[in-house]
Amino acid sequence: MSTNTAHTPQERPAHPARAARGKGRGRRFRLDRLGPLPWIGPAVALIVLVVLWPVYEMVRTSFLKISVSGFVRGSAGLDKYRQLFDDPDLGSVLLATVVWTVAVVTCTMVVSLALAQLFHQQFPGRRLTRWALIAPWAASVLMTAVAFRWMLDRTAGVLNTLMADLGLIDEPKDWLGDPSTAWPWMMAVAVFVSLPFTTYTLLAGLGTVPDEVYEAARVDGTGTWQTYRLITLPLLRPAFLVGVVINLINVFNSFPIIWAMTRGGPDSQTATTTVFMYQLKNNDIGQSAAMSVVNFALVVVLVVVFLWVSRWNKEEA
Amino acid sequence: MNKRKLALSAACALGALVLTACGGGGGESGDGSVTLKLVAADYGDKASNSSNVYWKDVAKRFEDANPEIKVDVQVINWNEIDAQVKTMIQSGNMPDVLQTGGYADKVADDLLYKAEDVLSPETRQNLVDSFAQAGEVDGVQYGIPFVSSARVMFYNKEHFAKAGITAPPKTWDEVRQAAETLKKKVPGVTPYALPLGPEEAQGESLIWELGNGGGYTDAEGKYTIDSDANVETFQWLKTNLVEPGLTYANPATTDRKTAFADFAAGKVGMLNGHPSLLQMSKTGKVEYGVAPIPGKAGPLDSTLGVADWTMAFKDNGHQEEIKKFLDFAYSKENTLKFTTMYNLMPVTKDTLEETKASADDDMKLFYDLLPKARFYPLGDTSWDAVSAQIKQSGGTAVSDDPAKVLGELQKTAEEILADQ
Repeated sequence: MSTNTAHTPQERPAHPARAARGKGRGRRFRLDRLGPLPWIGPAVALIVLVVLWPVYEMVRTSFLKISVSGFVRGSAGLDKYRQLFDDPDLGSVLLATVVWTVAVVTCTMVVSLALAQLFHQQFPGRRLTRWALIAPWAASVLMTAVAFRWMLDRTAGVLNTLMADLGLIDEPKDWLGDPSTAWPWMMAVAVFVSLPFTTYTLLAGLGTVPDEVYEAARVDGTGTWQTYRLITLPLLRPAFLVGVVINLINVFNSFPIIWAMTRGGPDSQTATTTVFMYQLKNNDIGQSAAMSVVNFALVVVLVVVFLWVSRWNKEEA
Repeated sequence: MNKRKLALSAACALGALVLTACGGGGGESGDGSVTLKLVAADYGDKASNSSNVYWKDVAKRFEDANPEIKVDVQVINWNEIDAQVKTMIQSGNMPDVLQTGGYADKVADDLLYKAEDVLSPETRQNLVDSFAQAGEVDGVQYGIPFVSSARVMFYNKEHFAKAGITAPPKTWDEVRQAAETLKKKVPGVTPYALPLGPEEAQGESLIWELGNGGGYTDAEGKYTIDSDANVETFQWLKTNLVEPGLTYANPATTDRKTAFADFAAGKVGMLNGHPSLLQMSKTGKVEYGVAPIPGKAGPLDSTLGVADWTMAFKDNGHQEEIKKFLDFAYSKENTLKFTTMYNLMPVTKDTLEETKASADDDMKLFYDLLPKARFYPLGDTSWDAVSAQIKQSGGTAVSDDPAKVLGELQKTAEEILADQ
């Protein structure tokens, strides 16, 4: 701006020394006073904007009455929470969420341990198979889930055609229509998309185990299984725990797989809390926000567990 | 002013510009002409038959006749239109005329002109009475019917002949008997297609409830979702069609479009369908027949009527211009063109007369039933939310305990009503 004489190029030749000195002193003074703020400022702003503000809005919304068109009709007090906890579906949805999370994470970890061991060996084509392992991770989760939905489709699905041709079933089965078959299939897809990340985490962990330890074990005459149980597993703990906790958070929050395959239906019988929250949005935004707050609290608990575990990792590993 | 402040204020100014750009749309331009914003749903399934083509043509002819009014046409597909209209309303960027599936929630927020304020008496009297009434909230008409459709029973003549069934069923018991025979004699075919999935559970449910003298509301408009008649209806469906395997294994997750596609592929014995299934069946080379919908004791003399709606928003204050446009859009020339373009049924008396006269036998049945059609409680401002809930959980009434499922729906409906 023209009023700012110190910074305009035309003025600079007149008092070059003073201008430069003044500018330098001013800047140092300001930076000193602000400390590290200019450096962490953007990050803080980002956190405030994309984390804290939405959280505030979410909590605020859960105390509001909102019309279908989105107009606020005043405060609802704790009504939305009361309605949510009175909802007969909530209990089964919470239970399903726990079963879903525990089952998917357990299967993922067990299969990944085996896969990591396999890919840790030297064999021809190892590089190629390691790349192939990334595929389910690289593909969009939604795309994978949609592909599985069509494979499992009652009339057009390739699975029904295959099983009927092999004489395994008499008539096409509606795999995703019945919760008792939909759950296992969705869990299988969730495990499928979680494997690459977990396997690579464990592979990295296996790489850090020093060869000397194995040599010493061999000299002492331990068997294969003993070596694995007494040496590999304990030394793999840091990588394993990171894998568990990140998967817990991921699987708990997993929305696209369930939404693409069953939309949580029939009713909410194949919904986790995340999907249930989205279903509630259809007729009551306030109640949906209340469910979000509950979900948020659960995620915070998981994060606290993560922090606690990573500290424990550092202290003892 | 230092550089950082300058950058900050520049960012603010830019932000403000963007915001005002989004919030604009008052529609008054410098030369005194008015621009009407028309938002409509897309009934087409490809670019060549998109409703955009129809509305652009209507807008052009209207502009030629009324040079002082411009019409800005925005056609949105069915999956997006609700969300986009919501965004428009919340950001204050309201349309002048909206053509979509429901209107009552907008009445609840006091956004609409009354029908009498934006239609000439002639245009208004030309609307079929039953539809005009369905557009009323507390006795005042806000929703202007646009097109309609009704349901009848479709059956596959080839499968019926193979099973030795000579006439389409008239009562529920006959439906069950026909379905049992079909299952035995024509294996691999779904005897009765019962789509109670989230796409349109509220439609199929109401059709069956009507057959037992039930429905969603009583004469005073109070919700009666868990009435004895309704519970009995779902109990019957559960024990007579679902449990013996005479329909889909999981009706609660089977959508209408699946049922229609199955029928058009010759994989279904009978189902309830609307006029678009006529064309689908012909394309699929299915020999079909149509019949009135069976009720518990005898065929229904009414049917489920579905209408889509036009409404006028008062936010921009373009009452006179909207009136001119709607009178033009509801002329026989335009409504006839639209209904024939998409195989839908008209809601204006003059067009109805003309299409009815030229209808073939299959379509005649639809036209005979249309004047007595029963509707969803559209005028109830809570219906949209209640309907969403029925879509989600209504279908489980044929797999779980009907009384419990309907009881919970009734409770939710009452809660939604209390929240209004």
